[in-house]
Amino acid sequence: MSDTIVILMIGVSTFLGALGLIALLWGVKTGQFDDQSKFIDAARFDGEEELRDAVMMEEKKKVQKQKAEKKKREAEKKKHYMPAD
Amino acid sequence: MAEVACTHCNLVFDESVMITEKENDKTLYFCCKGCQGVYHLLESEGLDTFYTKLGDTTLQPASNNVSEDLEKFNLEGFKNKYIKETEDGLYEIHLIIEGIHCSACVWLNEKVLHKTDGIIEASINYTNNKAKVVWDPEEVKLSHIIETIRSIGYNAYPYDPSLQEERANQAKKSYYSRILVAVFGTMNIMWIAIAKYAGYFTGMEQNFKDILNVAEFILATPVLFYSGYIFFRGAYYGFRNRIVNMDTLVASGALSAYIYSIYAMTTQSGEVYFDSVVMIITFVLVGKYLEVLSKKHAVDTLDSIMGSTPTEVTTVLNGIKSLVSVENVQVGDTIELKPGEKVVIDGVLTSGQGSFDESSLSGESEPVYKKKDDEILSGSICLDSVIHYQASKDVSGSLLTSIVSLLEESITKKPHIEQLANSISGYFSNIILLISLLTFAGWYWLDGSFETALIVGISVIVIACPCALGLATPMATLVGISIAAKRGLLFKEAAFLETMAKSDLLALDKTGTITEGKPTVVSAEIFEDFDPALLLALVSTSNHPVSKGIARYLTSEHKTLETITLQNIKSIEAKGITASHKAQRLLGGNASLLQEEGIGIDADSEHSLFFFSIDDSVVARFELSDTIREGAKEAIEQIQAMGIEVVMLTGDHAQSAEKVAKAVGISSIHSRLLPQEKAALIQEFQNSGKVTVMVGDGINDAIALAQSNIAIAMGRGADVAINVSDVVLLDEKPQSIVEAYQISRRTYRAVKENLGFSLLYNLIAVPLAVAGFVNPFIAALSMSLSSLVVVGNSMRIKILKFKGKS
Repeated sequence: MSDTIVILMIGVSTFLGALGLIALLWGVKTGQFDDQSKFIDAARFDGEEELRDAVMMEEKKKVQKQKAEKKKREAEKKKHYMPAD
Repeated sequence: MAEVACTHCNLVFDESVMITEKENDKTLYFCCKGCQGVYHLLESEGLDTFYTKLGDTTLQPASNNVSEDLEKFNLEGFKNKYIKETEDGLYEIHLIIEGIHCSACVWLNEKVLHKTDGIIEASINYTNNKAKVVWDPEEVKLSHIIETIRSIGYNAYPYDPSLQEERANQAKKSYYSRILVAVFGTMNIMWIAIAKYAGYFTGMEQNFKDILNVAEFILATPVLFYSGYIFFRGAYYGFRNRIVNMDTLVASGALSAYIYSIYAMTTQSGEVYFDSVVMIITFVLVGKYLEVLSKKHAVDTLDSIMGSTPTEVTTVLNGIKSLVSVENVQVGDTIELKPGEKVVIDGVLTSGQGSFDESSLSGESEPVYKKKDDEILSGSICLDSVIHYQASKDVSGSLLTSIVSLLEESITKKPHIEQLANSISGYFSNIILLISLLTFAGWYWLDGSFETALIVGISVIVIACPCALGLATPMATLVGISIAAKRGLLFKEAAFLETMAKSDLLALDKTGTITEGKPTVVSAEIFEDFDPALLLALVSTSNHPVSKGIARYLTSEHKTLETITLQNIKSIEAKGITASHKAQRLLGGNASLLQEEGIGIDADSEHSLFFFSIDDSVVARFELSDTIREGAKEAIEQIQAMGIEVVMLTGDHAQSAEKVAKAVGISSIHSRLLPQEKAALIQEFQNSGKVTVMVGDGINDAIALAQSNIAIAMGRGADVAINVSDVVLLDEKPQSIVEAYQISRRTYRAVKENLGFSLLYNLIAVPLAVAGFVNPFIAALSMSLSSLVVVGNSMRIKILKFKGKS
């Protein structure tokens, strides 16, 4: 067994492990493990309907954002609006 | 008659009392209108899959008062206090949802909220039932959101997460990430280390060794500096305050082993110790994480106390009633209190009279009767009548606010953790650090070579630190904790055993700790035969502790009692209950009720009395008293025999306190104490040099518990009390307190023995290291041998014998 093979084996396996670790750390950072029981129990209720719900909530958020932007634009417009003399 | 389960809440009742309904070919049963309403609502919304998800779990029956006090959620004061406005003009609130029993409930609540127009985000935490809701104020009002939650049978009240929760969550997440990194590093280094151990005995070429060393180095570096950051920070704070604590030891030990290993790696001389570096960091870190977790639980319960306090009160000015935010109430304002309302502002009663539940202040479950000019304390609950009182303090000066803020303070800067940085290890690490410094200086002076001096100096720390000290305390306390847990004593942290062993003063709460905390029938006299089911029906209509005591007595004496429905039930304040059944007139209550009705009785007793009369003739007389827990006297005697001073702290009046104290053999009594006075007394004890253990069960004991060196809570006590406590007695037996002392003292002895042994080991090994004789083989052998001895000695705690075996 040569040095290079040992280095390669340790290097590759550690790298793969580190990828998993990074994924876990990302999960912790984005709050996916904040609630232990949800993490375990909620999986039972996962289904097509829940997915549709999640999409619906996303849509709602999008609509809301558009509305907020529109309002902002309008507010901007009002600011720049000069009444005609 | 058959018993059936309610279709909605699954609680089982007699078929005859159920509301029945035919749907297609199925019969539906409901225990109340509330459940029926929720069932039909869910069905029409297409949410009836909830019931398949629910399974056999029982819920609490849905209540009917959906629209009660909804307007308060739209008030300005409420908005300022709880609602946060986001950048997009959305509103955000944190709610605690009441009535959640299982994950299906969470599912239902989230689902219903998601379906409501205008709600942008709704997520509920499964563990603590806290919800975060974001909504568009232009589309939906908060009162509507609350109404929606109530309409499906739950209730919600707000809390302010900025208090503590966000900070606690942040700490938890940071620990979690650090532990993940530490565990990853340790596991991989262990694999490499096994290869190296194998190589040590069978021979390994230097170039392979180098590769493995470098791999270990790469893995150990993030563990030491990222995961171990907490210890470096702790050591730094300790250094600034001139304290040598556990963090100093871990940080200096790990860092010096790391530096030594780098040196050994680069010069290809000697063994590397990266594996011990990561092991120390990982194990101690996991222990610290458990502490952070228990702290977070305490925060959760505090929020529920704060959340249930009203934000508005009704004030009366010149006959006009108005809702005013509590912050705006001034001293001298007249406040109206309705039945069931919680008092938030202290004051003096001006008109009306009624009973008040002061259990969260005094610990006594018996309501206190108040009339004109009596003092009203915040934290108590008005039970049965409408009264007016004049505010004598503003909200921030009131008792309830000061209790909550005191508790908050005690949780955030809980004194234990610093205090308990166990002092023996502290001294020890000081000495080792000193020796290694002297060794370094000595070698440098004698040998002249900086390099050799550094290696020998570090080898002293390496050989002394990880095994001998790392295991001596944790191993013994681990065994101690597991024995305690088997006997129903939960020590939340290992270090508490040590403090408990050193304690020389035990403070006991009276009600609920020495006594059962509820009135129990001590003697019953039956003058005429009567149907006990009648009496049971009568007392079941009241929530008064005496009535409950009678009900408990009846159900334990008579196995099966049929349910009788009474008419004209009337409860008379602070006296009793009257009702009628088939032209019979039933009276149940104390002596003054019967005297009022013109019935002559013998009302001479030192206990609380309860009379039962049918048609104006007394048929039974019960004496009730709060009984002392079984074995309390013996337990207190044993504790006193250990040389521990026992005192009693109670919110009850002196007379009854003295009676109980005499019965159990306590001579030092402090009575009529308010929650913060209890805490002040504990501090007084501590100032006079006593290590104080406090045992309590109620909200009123919580501050004193948090103040004491070791707090013991009863397993069925208030949540707050349990959460601020260090030890929980699951079986609530006084004998368990004795056992807690025995176990902690035995464990402490084992810790001392272990430390003594490691001292001996160090006395031999350290001089060898100082002399520069430590080769890897001796180090490996002596380390594992010393660990084995420590483990074996700790196991001996298990043969501890208890008096009065169960």
